Amino acid sequence: MAKKMSDKVILKAIKRSTHQNKQAYLFLLPWLIGFVIFTIGPFFYTVYLSFYDVESTGLGWVTTFVGMDNYIVALFRNLYYLPALIDFIILEITYVPAVVIASFIIGILLNRNIKFRSGFRTIFFLPVIVLSGSVMDQLIATGSTRLSDFSENIIFQMLMNYNRGVARGLLNLFENFTMVLWFTGIPVILFINGLQKINTQLYEAAKIDGATTWQILWKITVPIIKPTAMIVAIFTIVQIGMYSINPIYGIIKTAMYNFGAGLGLASAYTWIYTLVVLVFVGIAMLVLSSREKKQVVKLSSIQRLNFERIKDKRDSASKEDNNGNN
Amino acid sequence: MEIIRKISSKFTELFDKMKHNKKRIKNISTQLVIYALLITISYVFLFPLLSMISLAFMSPTDIINPEVDWIPKALYFGNFGAAVRVLDIYKTLFNSIWFSGSLAIAQTIVSALTGYAFARYDFRFKKLLFALILVSFIVPVPIILIPRIMMIVSVQDTIGISLIGTVIPQLVMGLFGQGVNSAILILIFYNFFKMIPNVLYEAAKIDGANAYQQFWHITIRISLSTIIVVFLFSFVWNWNETYVTEILVRNNVKLMPTQLGIFETLFFQRPVDIPGQDNTALLSEAYKMAATLLTMIPLFIIYFAAQKQFVEGIEKTGITGE
Repeated sequence: MAKKMSDKVILKAIKRSTHQNKQAYLFLLPWLIGFVIFTIGPFFYTVYLSFYDVESTGLGWVTTFVGMDNYIVALFRNLYYLPALIDFIILEITYVPAVVIASFIIGILLNRNIKFRSGFRTIFFLPVIVLSGSVMDQLIATGSTRLSDFSENIIFQMLMNYNRGVARGLLNLFENFTMVLWFTGIPVILFINGLQKINTQLYEAAKIDGATTWQILWKITVPIIKPTAMIVAIFTIVQIGMYSINPIYGIIKTAMYNFGAGLGLASAYTWIYTLVVLVFVGIAMLVLSSREKKQVVKLSSIQRLNFERIKDKRDSASKEDNNGNN
Repeated sequence: MEIIRKISSKFTELFDKMKHNKKRIKNISTQLVIYALLITISYVFLFPLLSMISLAFMSPTDIINPEVDWIPKALYFGNFGAAVRVLDIYKTLFNSIWFSGSLAIAQTIVSALTGYAFARYDFRFKKLLFALILVSFIVPVPIILIPRIMMIVSVQDTIGISLIGTVIPQLVMGLFGQGVNSAILILIFYNFFKMIPNVLYEAAKIDGANAYQQFWHITIRISLSTIIVVFLFSFVWNWNETYVTEILVRNNVKLMPTQLGIFETLFFQRPVDIPGQDNTALLSEAYKMAATLLTMIPLFIIYFAAQKQFVEGIEKTGITGE
């Protein structure tokens, strides 16, 4: 009797869950269809297209296999693509750490109890709302984003002699530091949010143990905030690609704009570019992934060990007690 | 006696204050450093905007004048007149509003549905699909745009109505949850819907409400503020989006940001008559900056009307947790 009941209950539960599944998928349906048709499908189709020559004819799109030709054109024949790609890599390497660190610092500053806090937050979030590609272009074109000219600076002159690529990247970073800060809008909010979630008791405990502010920053805040930093880094890597300060942007756009022909080549361009972006995302994940899980495992094993030890001690103590009584 | 007691108590107070002072000085100095840092950073943030505003109000003579660095000698509005005419502002403003508005409505509806499904139900492959939302955010737009273009052109050829150059392709993508930053919008909804207590739904269920009634009468009614935030975000991001728009809409629908992008070409196409100058007025930076300022004004208005909601909206995504 009891077994039958439980079977019935389980059956009911299964029925209910499939019902729930159905409802959930009904709500999800538009997004799911869109994701398959407009995002993940196109993603792989672009990879496929990059080996083809795509032509628009009266009968629709005609593709002919050309092997690696598109890649050869992209990397070796086109005189602009490869340098632009290298510039893009330099841009990512210099901008992403700068954005992460700058937004972390701003986040810490704004997380304190200060006056005009919301006012500062309003300023720092402003670029997220008012910044469009064309606005940024106009500001860059008129030189409004340039703080000052560092190229005559003696340190940069020395760097130029030492390594041109590094010097150029750093020069670009310093001269357009405003651009760096303009990418910190959302990251700052994420960092503040992350910082507020840290348990204040941790700080107090560290202070009682005599830790300095510097130690607290490195031993408590940084490890806890690392997952947020990872999200910020990935977000920034993706965002930087969306503006015309990205040197490849223009090349891809013109290749795509004339879609009567040459979409195969455009696919090769974008696929190489996407690979670079994904590699950067991977690096960000590797560098900033938290070791929290391992620590949790360690902690739990320590806990278990201690528990067993205590148990042993108790057991032996009770035995002794028993012996004494006897 | 009373007096002595009073005096002694005053003295002890004073000593206490002295003790505190050292700490206070330290506190004040750190505060000062923080303010100095924040003000410097804000200055760097606002520098381009400030120089834009100052340039926009400069008369042609002020621009050439080396003495005038920041503040123009007199407020000069001629640049705005030119910018209004070059950008054809009334038409483009109207276009931009309905264009971004319709896309934002589509995005908001679908994000709400998707966020609701994730917040309310436990279903198979939930974790995988949730990860896919984040993936859809990482994938660079250019790589998925090529097949999208091909699809749109194919559809256009088969049905014989031109789609390139209209809002329709982006609207369809928005309706299927693949618009600008859709992932963030979904996350905002997801985190808000998750906070709605389950008791409400159970009560509704007992009263015989089905899933759609539950969604419509409970979730939507409660989350009006979140809906507005998501709509505003979507509106602003669609307004600012120029990459996809330029390729899919081209110049058929004249929008403010895209018109600003080709300001130079437009400037020479639409000669501007400025009193006291030749017809072929030289394109100066002041015109550009005036135009840029004009295109930003609607966004400034939205931002300052709802800035608290914007910041809280991003906090609500909750991507920092979990």
